Amino acid sequence: MLFNSVEFALFYILVTTLYFVCPYRYRWIILLSASCYFYMAFVPIYILVLGFTIVIDYLAGIYIEKQQDPRKRKMLLVVSLISNIGILAFFKYFNFINLNIDYIAHEFNWHNPIPYLTILLPIGLSFHTFQAMSYTIEVYRGNQKAEKHFGIYSLYVMFYPQLVAGPIERPQNILYQMHTKYPFNYQLMTSGLKMMLWGFFKKLVIADRLSIFVNSVYNNPDLHNGTTIVIASLFFAVQIYCDFSGYTDIAIGCAKTMGFDLMKNFNRPYFATNIQDFWRRWHISLSTWFRDYLYIPLGGSKVSTGRRYLNLFIIFAVSGIWHGANYTYIIWGALHGLYSVVYVIIKPYLRKDSENEFINTITRVTNTLITIVFVTFAWIFFRANSVTDAFTLIHNLKSFGARPFMGDGVSNFAHSLLAIAILFAVEYKMEFIPKRFNWFTSRNIVVRWGSIALTVFLLLILGVFNGGQFIYFQF
Amino acid sequence: MRQRLVIKFLFRFIAFCIVLFVLDRIIGYGFKTAYFNQKVGQFSQTTYAVDSARADVMVFGSSRAVRHYSTTVISKELGLSCYNSGRDGQMIPYSAALEEVSLNRHKPKLIILDINPWELANNPSKYEKLTILQPYCDEHKELIPYISEVSAFERYKLISKVYPYNSSIFILATNALFPKSVKKDTAGYLPLEGVMTPAYLTEYTARMKARYERIKVNKEVPEEKGIAYFKKFLDNAAKFNIKTVVVISPTILKEPFYLDNQTVEKQLVVDITKKYPNVTFLDYSSDARFNGQPQKFSDEFHLNRYGAEEFSTGFARYLKANRVVE
Repeated sequence: MLFNSVEFALFYILVTTLYFVCPYRYRWIILLSASCYFYMAFVPIYILVLGFTIVIDYLAGIYIEKQQDPRKRKMLLVVSLISNIGILAFFKYFNFINLNIDYIAHEFNWHNPIPYLTILLPIGLSFHTFQAMSYTIEVYRGNQKAEKHFGIYSLYVMFYPQLVAGPIERPQNILYQMHTKYPFNYQLMTSGLKMMLWGFFKKLVIADRLSIFVNSVYNNPDLHNGTTIVIASLFFAVQIYCDFSGYTDIAIGCAKTMGFDLMKNFNRPYFATNIQDFWRRWHISLSTWFRDYLYIPLGGSKVSTGRRYLNLFIIFAVSGIWHGANYTYIIWGALHGLYSVVYVIIKPYLRKDSENEFINTITRVTNTLITIVFVTFAWIFFRANSVTDAFTLIHNLKSFGARPFMGDGVSNFAHSLLAIAILFAVEYKMEFIPKRFNWFTSRNIVVRWGSIALTVFLLLILGVFNGGQFIYFQF
Repeated sequence: MRQRLVIKFLFRFIAFCIVLFVLDRIIGYGFKTAYFNQKVGQFSQTTYAVDSARADVMVFGSSRAVRHYSTTVISKELGLSCYNSGRDGQMIPYSAALEEVSLNRHKPKLIILDINPWELANNPSKYEKLTILQPYCDEHKELIPYISEVSAFERYKLISKVYPYNSSIFILATNALFPKSVKKDTAGYLPLEGVMTPAYLTEYTARMKARYERIKVNKEVPEEKGIAYFKKFLDNAAKFNIKTVVVISPTILKEPFYLDNQTVEKQLVVDITKKYPNVTFLDYSSDARFNGQPQKFSDEFHLNRYGAEEFSTGFARYLKANRVVE
């Protein structure tokens, strides 16, 4: 079930109503049943796979907590991690590994007898697997008590707003909320709904509009000149941000209406002034997951300089693999790893803040633009259908300056630019003048209702309602 | 206390929905007025095709119909009035919808359908693009099944009076602010002016051949729903015994459907049209007067004005000589 569907609108109204109508002690049943239904709307049988990992991690959590022997505790953790990573590897990476074996076998004239799997990837597998892993790791580290209530633990993994594309929650932030009694809260309900509205705006008006042009260019890489490719790549940078952060806003808003507080996942990443800053603002729940469970255990920054660079590179390469079993994602991750290492090396030599405010502004704008250029270049690999396509696109960049292709008519292109202008205005306001023009929360009802109504009508007038699913659903 | 908050929320939510409903009617009315008062451009051409066209010869199809069939030439050659109802970016479901609406109002003497084999291949966009018919659904309920192809809930979205004008604001604004910049059609016919260069033709031919090497391994699977719409179009014309000509208009490359891996769809067009005694099928895709003649084309898909008028003249003379229409 997609958030941008009529089915979801009906589902959401029904579940939220039932949630508030039911006595507190039965609410977890409502949410868990709704989450099961939501998940089974994609491929029903995969609920068994999810159920299997839930049982393993639930039991692992309880036994890790009970167990005093450190070796046995570690063994239980390893069993839990292997189960999770094993399922992830089987569904997501089996065919990719097999393809590589095939390639090597071909080079040596050897026949690879391993057949390919012809099954769909369970939706949101990487997200709920990482969320489940963070639970057992935190219980092992003693930061989180094991959850004894099987239903609540299942809900922690399956909570429908963030089940398929995050934010990847930590047990310390969300598990206690599953036990908390949330009465109906007018403020949370209205602010949650407004957040959902803005999420839908980002998805339908911006991301899906830009995808029309982006798809027509990226699906025919050999047909387009450098100018068109630059425009399409910049459009994709905005598209993926609005697609993913739009989903996140809907998820956070949806949970908020029921009283839950999910973690922030985006913080206006295209205002970042360097690559580290970008990763502090982009997909925060994944970046912090890798920091806490991979970078720090590898030694983090408390190791030799060379090892530190290697650690940095490793987490970005793994992040690339996490996104998908394809060399395009691996190169994308490696590029970000490379950017980060280079940034850490050159950071001491970069200009410090000047006393002149004007120079500071110019420096900041320049740094932001440079960051956007590097991030957008890496997005070419992320979006291209294959590595060959990505290199074709990069090769065609040499014709930058030629007359650009306008896509399916000038109208769509103009709508795309209008959508980007609206996004920029809103993000600029939130970044630099957060206390002004807060129309959605204005005390004046005409301004408040007027701005919400305007957003609704812009959605109706400019939205693309037959757009596809969210990009991150495939991960 | 909590109950009061719930009531407060519900009361305000309902009040806000009423405000939205009223605004939707007001803004929707504004859009409707602007849309149906268009004097030039494709919106006004579609409006005329849906609401008013009563010509003896009606042309249906995609952009290749709008750009290839000169209504002036056909009228002059046949001595009959002619209107071109084709529309850029559209395919056979749109043609079937327009034909159904037209036949409910008027029975022409001749129907011309410009078809491309790819219209019978799998391509979901041919249904998504039917949303352009939404502004007409209030007056023409027979269009609702067509727009339901976009999604099962599409008909319910029409409760909003603004939604039918989705994505049209830029064209409406341009037409209102710069009416002189919009090309005026001649009874629906809107020729292209550019000329394709020989160098571009060489490059395009090489590209298509390279593409064919990539796609030739793909099995051609025609789309049943697309075929059903094609048959529906022919059935509707046959029901009123209207002479119908199904045409594949000129293409820049010879055997383009072979290169496009669409030979199965092409054969389907031939086979299906044979079953209708009122239908004549004409294929200009291997016509040497047009194949490899870049001066007659504006781009790889469309004839320019010069090519279109030459084609329309030859086509109309053929119809006259073979007494396809009296």
